[in-house]
Amino acid sequence: MTLFTIDEVRKSFTNGEVKEEILKGINLSLREGEITALVGASGSGKSTLLTISAGLQPTSDGQVIFEGKNMTTMSSEQVRKVRASKFGFVFQFAHLVPFLTVEEQLMLMLDVSESRLKKHEQKEEVNRILKLVGMDHRKNSYPNLLSGGEKQRVAIARAIIHKPKVLFADEPTASLDSKRSKDVMLLIRELTKTLNITTLMVTHDEEMLSYADQIIKMSDGLILQNVD
Amino acid sequence: MNLAWKEIKKNKVRFLILGSIVFLVSLLTFIISGLANGLSQDNAALIKDLPEGQFYMNEDADETYNLSRIDSGIQNEILKIQKDAVAFSIQMGFLNDEADKQQSIAFVTSTDSKLFENVKHEEIILDSSLKDKGIKVGDTLTNNQFSGKFVVKGFVDQKKYSHAPVAYISMEDYKEIYRVEQMQLVFTPEGDSSQEFTGLQSFSKKDFLNTIPSYSAEQMSLNMIVWFLVVISGMLFAIFFYMMNVQKIGLYGILKAIGLKTSRLFKMIWTQMVVITVISLVISITLSQVFNMIAPEGMPFSLSFKTTGQLSIVFLIIGFIGATLSGIQIKKIEPLQAIQQGEV
Ligand SMILES: Nc1ncnc2c1ncn2[C@@H]1O[C@H](COP(=O)(O)OP(=O)(O)OP(=O)(O)O)[C@@H](O)[C@H]1O
Ligand SMILES: [Mg+2]
Repeated sequence: MTLFTIDEVRKSFTNGEVKEEILKGINLSLREGEITALVGASGSGKSTLLTISAGLQPTSDGQVIFEGKNMTTMSSEQVRKVRASKFGFVFQFAHLVPFLTVEEQLMLMLDVSESRLKKHEQKEEVNRILKLVGMDHRKNSYPNLLSGGEKQRVAIARAIIHKPKVLFADEPTASLDSKRSKDVMLLIRELTKTLNITTLMVTHDEEMLSYADQIIKMSDGLILQNVD
Repeated sequence: MNLAWKEIKKNKVRFLILGSIVFLVSLLTFIISGLANGLSQDNAALIKDLPEGQFYMNEDADETYNLSRIDSGIQNEILKIQKDAVAFSIQMGFLNDEADKQQSIAFVTSTDSKLFENVKHEEIILDSSLKDKGIKVGDTLTNNQFSGKFVVKGFVDQKKYSHAPVAYISMEDYKEIYRVEQMQLVFTPEGDSSQEFTGLQSFSKKDFLNTIPSYSAEQMSLNMIVWFLVVISGMLFAIFFYMMNVQKIGLYGILKAIGLKTSRLFKMIWTQMVVITVISLVISITLSQVFNMIAPEGMPFSLSFKTTGQLSIVFLIIGFIGATLSGIQIKKIEPLQAIQQGEV
């Protein structure tokens, strides 16, 4: 079933006098519970497409339809609500909050997504997800004491703790070695399957493609190829 | 989840530095304003302690009470109309104590009034600061221009003029020392500026204080220091909050990306500002009040809770503005920027 549709999306930036079109009419659908991988040369517009889909920047033209609603016409507060409750984010860097412990990072996400769970239920849920990503033993640590891979696993846990519908990941394994990358990828795959999360992921790593259900190759602001 | 408090707990040093700056600047402001007030008491308590009212001096006196000579006819007329009105004179002078040591004082004499001490011929009432100089009730004091002797009848608290203790003497003795018949000033309590008398210029209490040359110069420079300190501290606040926020732009971007409301970020910086400012102010208020109590006798220092309170409110408002101004950047932060900037 199609959960997410990108319809003739265009994006241009003006650099001084020059207007550059970065996305030149993209059409794409994400199916529920599947991992879609975006690949392509550097500068082809992958991150731009991902952030537009996630409601982090506006389109110049075209529509982004999520759960039947056009996100491009929503107010910024409505988009924020969708982001807080329905989306999860993992980026190249973990971007954890430096003054919160691992456990608090996840509690904050539940708080932001206006979780209806009671306090102790929230703690149990945090524990459960931390076990899933293998970080439950570090729940009282601050981010500065964690390794890169550990931070990334916490970031993934934060991205899924509130049971989002869509997970957006921009090169989530780029800061990790190949062993850790594989672990993280396996984790994302397992989580998307068990929690029925739809994932859109940008990657440079050929190896990661084996975990994807759909591979989209981009070049120069256009989709070259759509491999199922 | 209380993000403001969690951040303060994790970054104690950073907030401690900010807090100590607020503390030091506010303490300095309190001390200077205590000094300003103390000096103004020392300079003009005699006048400041009078109730609100109108002061009159001769129109030809060039706004200098020393040059004023009030015609006795007009004086009698005013005193008749206004039964609380009082005519008085002030002159700086000297007294020799029993050990023949010279004391600098301000002679004050007046017509009968409960606002001034009334003394008889050859009697004198002194400001209590002269007790420290070894003068007691019953001592006899002399003055070069005065043929008789003054017997000390008693002391009054906190009556100073031009940084000198006040000495009340009778009109008769005053006239002998200074060889003048007329009084310099007339004061009408509760009078207002609408009341005019021919040949006299009227002043409100504030205006009259400003005609005392040393008083206005002193107060102006001290008040200027106080307000400069307030402005400087305002800028310090703003700059500090600004720098702290600039460091955290990436963080704010991420928090926005995961869906935190901008208003919650504002609440976070406001809470931090209030916590830091209130704690620092409480400490500096306490210290300045302790200083107020233990300040050495001769030191002109007087700091009321009212002044401290007013300044504290000004500090809070300034801190709030500083935090809010730097917070305006938060509103502008695009979550995307932060994500692309790499690790925070
Ligand atoms: N805010 C912006 N203003 C101007 N140009 C931009 C902006 N964001 C992206 N671009 C340009 O758009 C193009 C595509 O950028 P994008 O980040 O989407 O590429 P990418 O495919 O993710 O590349 P990489 O693999 O290196 O991450 C680049 O040429 C970039 O310079
Ligand atoms: Mg990119």
